[in-house]
Amino acid sequence: MEIVVLIKPIPEAESRLRATPDGRGLEPEGVKFVLAGYDESAVEQALLLKESLPGSRVHAVSFGPARCEETLRAAIALGADRATWVEGPPEGSDDPVLAARALAAALQTVPHDLVLGGKQAGDDEEGIVPGAVAELLGIPSFGYVTDLRSSGPSGLTFLRPTEAGVERWEAPLPCVVGLQQAWNDPRSAKLPNILKSRKAPILKVDWPTTSKALALEAKPRSIGEKFELPAPRTGAKMIEFKTPEEAAEKLVRLLREEAKVFP
Amino acid sequence: MTPTVLVLAEASGGLLTGPTKEAIGVARTLAGPDGSLAAVTMGGPSALEALAPFGPKEVWVADVPPEAATSGAVAALAAHAADESRAAIVLLGGTTFGRDVTGRLAVRWGAAAATGATEVAIAGPEEVHVRRPVFGGRATEMRRLVGPRTVIALRPHAFAEAAASAGTPTVHVLDRSVIPATEGAARRRSLDPAEPGSGPSLSDATIVVSGGRGMRAAENFHLIEELAQSLGAAVGASRAVTDAGWRPTSFQIGQTGRAVSPQLYIAVGISGAIQHVVGMVSSRTIVAINTDASAPIFKVADYGLVGDALTILPALTREVRKVRGLPAN
Ligand SMILES: Cc1cc2nc3c(=O)[nH]c(=O)nc-3n(C[C@H](O)[C@H](O)[C@H](O)COP(=O)(O)OP(=O)(O)OC[C@H]3O[C@@H](n4cnc5c(N)ncnc54)[C@H](O)[C@@H]3O)c2cc1C
Repeated sequence: MEIVVLIKPIPEAESRLRATPDGRGLEPEGVKFVLAGYDESAVEQALLLKESLPGSRVHAVSFGPARCEETLRAAIALGADRATWVEGPPEGSDDPVLAARALAAALQTVPHDLVLGGKQAGDDEEGIVPGAVAELLGIPSFGYVTDLRSSGPSGLTFLRPTEAGVERWEAPLPCVVGLQQAWNDPRSAKLPNILKSRKAPILKVDWPTTSKALALEAKPRSIGEKFELPAPRTGAKMIEFKTPEEAAEKLVRLLREEAKVFP
Repeated sequence: MTPTVLVLAEASGGLLTGPTKEAIGVARTLAGPDGSLAAVTMGGPSALEALAPFGPKEVWVADVPPEAATSGAVAALAAHAADESRAAIVLLGGTTFGRDVTGRLAVRWGAAAATGATEVAIAGPEEVHVRRPVFGGRATEMRRLVGPRTVIALRPHAFAEAAASAGTPTVHVLDRSVIPATEGAARRRSLDPAEPGSGPSLSDATIVVSGGRGMRAAENFHLIEELAQSLGAAVGASRAVTDAGWRPTSFQIGQTGRAVSPQLYIAVGISGAIQHVVGMVSSRTIVAINTDASAPIFKVADYGLVGDALTILPALTREVRKVRGLPAN
């Protein structure tokens, strides 16, 4: 199976977030961008499928600024066979539909039976890319997927937890899957593989090529205007009590009268 | 501007879902007195009946069985309705279904798109502004969506549900031939329904009561469930609990579980590891109960109780039942 996995560098979970001086976006300076969250699960799942289906290959693809390269190397160190960086516009863009258009254009010449991505990116949490890529490629797509299994050369089965319950699906290949959870927690890369990945070739699709292919669609239509951090939570109001009954009574009163969230 | 705002409506058991009623409320506000509200649904006659009292002028209806309602099929039908209604904005409820359709619909219909919106405002003839939490609620962003067409999925519970008004919409039946042939081979084989009577699901709940390792043993977890039941809340858990097998992974809140943003989140015996916090920090009010006054959970909580959950929970459940007029049990 030819598996493409779409990944995006996102700030490490512990990063201190702050806005750029113009207040429009996240300040990337001083932030470490990594392969993490649902995308990391997608890579893990791609590798598990490859291991269970001899002859399969995993191709990691990332759209955006130059920092994508490092994230692609992380995927190679974990076991991806090839990597492609689809360069974003020089002025930057975090429009997920534009990202999907650029990725889909690049995938026209990349063999793909299964295109895997995280159900949403861990930073902007849009969840738009998998479905948008599928629409552009003209193939089915499924988000919020868990327990993804191959059912022979041309199909998949998976579960999907929804508000109504857990759905079980059968789907044909090729298709796009937005993954909620892999079978396993993501593996860690081994040191020799990390070292080797530093020298691995990374294919590049430059922005002029993409921009030409997208023509009028090469302009972002979702544009960050303000990036705001909440006033830091000042810490909890601690409720003093002598007995459990007093604790319960005081908490319920605060929830009713002050927070107004009591049902 | 007098826009038409189209809502992709979901119904279940003959009633509109909460997120759909939220979307209708937002659509009415955006359309204003001069614009109009339209709707599209895949749920056939029963969904149409559920929709009519909410006052859409026009409804586009398809009858797509849930077994075949892939995002690609739904996006094709919804885009067709969006074209015919000459909508400027399509709104979707913040459900798995709604969010899954958003990206496809945006491409199919040629629109700018955003998900998880907590505010939506028309800023100009071809510009809509949305506010949305990012980074698991650690920050929010305001985005400009530019162009004549916009698709927005809302964040659940961020808006009030519309009340039924009245109306007899003009009904258009959608032609299923617009569904691409490639969608035909995918099939939903079964649905394992959320346990009936088990209260609201995590993503629907306005209150979540979550237990952690501090509950000490699986045998004590019923104390969490009893409090949840008294509040009409859903039950969540930390990863320590799901890893130990006290509850299945579907209960897990956090980075590798579900993200929730209820009105009230009660964290019991949960230390407040960052991987848990990212899944609940955007809740409106957070209560923490923990024996350790220095537990990090108290930094993100609004109200804190330092004490033993095993003694506080039964008292709290009794108090809630008393105040809500429920029989003691
Ligand atoms: C890659 C990765 C992903 C992860 N994803 C998640 C995730 O999605 N969700 C998640 O929850 N975790 C996740 N974790 C795990 C996370 O780091 C923590 O280990 C976990 O959240 C701890 O669960 P806990 O708070 O229940 O347990 P602990 O950290 O052990 O805390 C138990 C708390 O209970 C208190 N306590 C003890 N006895 C009592 C009592 N009688 N009454 C009241 N309080 C008491 C203690 O003071 C303590 O604060 C992840 C970790 C990693 C590395």
